[in-house]
Amino acid sequence: MNRNAATKILAEKLTNEVVVTNLGQATLEMQQVRDRDLNFYTFGSMGQTSSIALGIAQARPDVRVVSLDGDGSLLMNLGLLTTIANQAPANLSVVVWDNEVHQTTGGQPTATGLRSSLAAIARGAGIDQVLQPQNEEELSAAFDRILNEDGPFFVEVKVDPGPAAGEMGRDLMWYKLRFMRALAALHR
Amino acid sequence: MTTDGWHLAIADALRRNDIRYFATVPDFIISQVLHHLWEDEGCHVVTSSREEEGLGMLSGAYLAGKRGALLMQNSGLGNCINTLASLNVALQIPIVMVISHRGDVGEYNAAQVPMGQAAERILEACDVRYVTPHTVEEFEAEADGLIKLAYTRNLPVAFLLPNDLTGGRYSK
Repeated sequence: MNRNAATKILAEKLTNEVVVTNLGQATLEMQQVRDRDLNFYTFGSMGQTSSIALGIAQARPDVRVVSLDGDGSLLMNLGLLTTIANQAPANLSVVVWDNEVHQTTGGQPTATGLRSSLAAIARGAGIDQVLQPQNEEELSAAFDRILNEDGPFFVEVKVDPGPAAGEMGRDLMWYKLRFMRALAALHR
Repeated sequence: MTTDGWHLAIADALRRNDIRYFATVPDFIISQVLHHLWEDEGCHVVTSSREEEGLGMLSGAYLAGKRGALLMQNSGLGNCINTLASLNVALQIPIVMVISHRGDVGEYNAAQVPMGQAAERILEACDVRYVTPHTVEEFEAEADGLIKLAYTRNLPVAFLLPNDLTGGRYSK
């Protein structure tokens, strides 16, 4: 699948959910497709995107949280999947755009293009609801599930390699404060 | 020598400063603090697989309006450095760290010593204001003020706990 098209399928369904995006491609893609106050973009701390999403989900159990992670980043922090499985927040979903390369640094291959499966690792970690949509129709159905049913969910989305188009917004503090205010204002 | 009640003093200081959400990778020393938090139904303690993961999680909770503290050994501080710098310092996200200080005076395990000696310089390099209370009285004198500074300055702070406060590895 194409990551830009996949991001658009998710973006069209979003209402009052928090979306946390992984540094590099996921952040840039989400900025371009649908910049919104309830997006929290990361620009550093590689590996911690879904940790941040877990913290938001536990602090605000009334709000659905979707993490848009990457294969290279999540491979740095696989232990987190065990924490998510055991904390089991019903309002958290981890979506991995798995392009099997370190895209932002030039497309060097990751382990998921070889013998390793993040979906299998997530299951082994103890996450029961692991989805592996194979086309855009199944992807749309998977997003409907994570936005309407109790999680935690792990969604492995195999996407084509290639950089996102457009210019990255890099005003970190402005994005952070916009996000914090929007989330605080969201009715409990 | 152990200073009696040090672990309860720390747990109480965190709680009276509205911190109820904790991440930890435990060690023998810090578990004595955790014991009070585990017993408290009003507190939520998450055991992370790695300290950096706990730091990311607590940072997310702060963005959502909840204060958090990370309880760990100084070896875990080493595991936190990139996130501490590129998330907490870069985006001004405060966190309270409670760190048992292994690898300093009295240490018996040579593998602990290099990180123990590096701990204060790591905190300084990451712009983390910290205190090293040697008695419960010293801790009580500094605790509320240091935690207040974290949320005024919007940067992490640390309590680096020396052996003479905690009794070290073999304290009871």
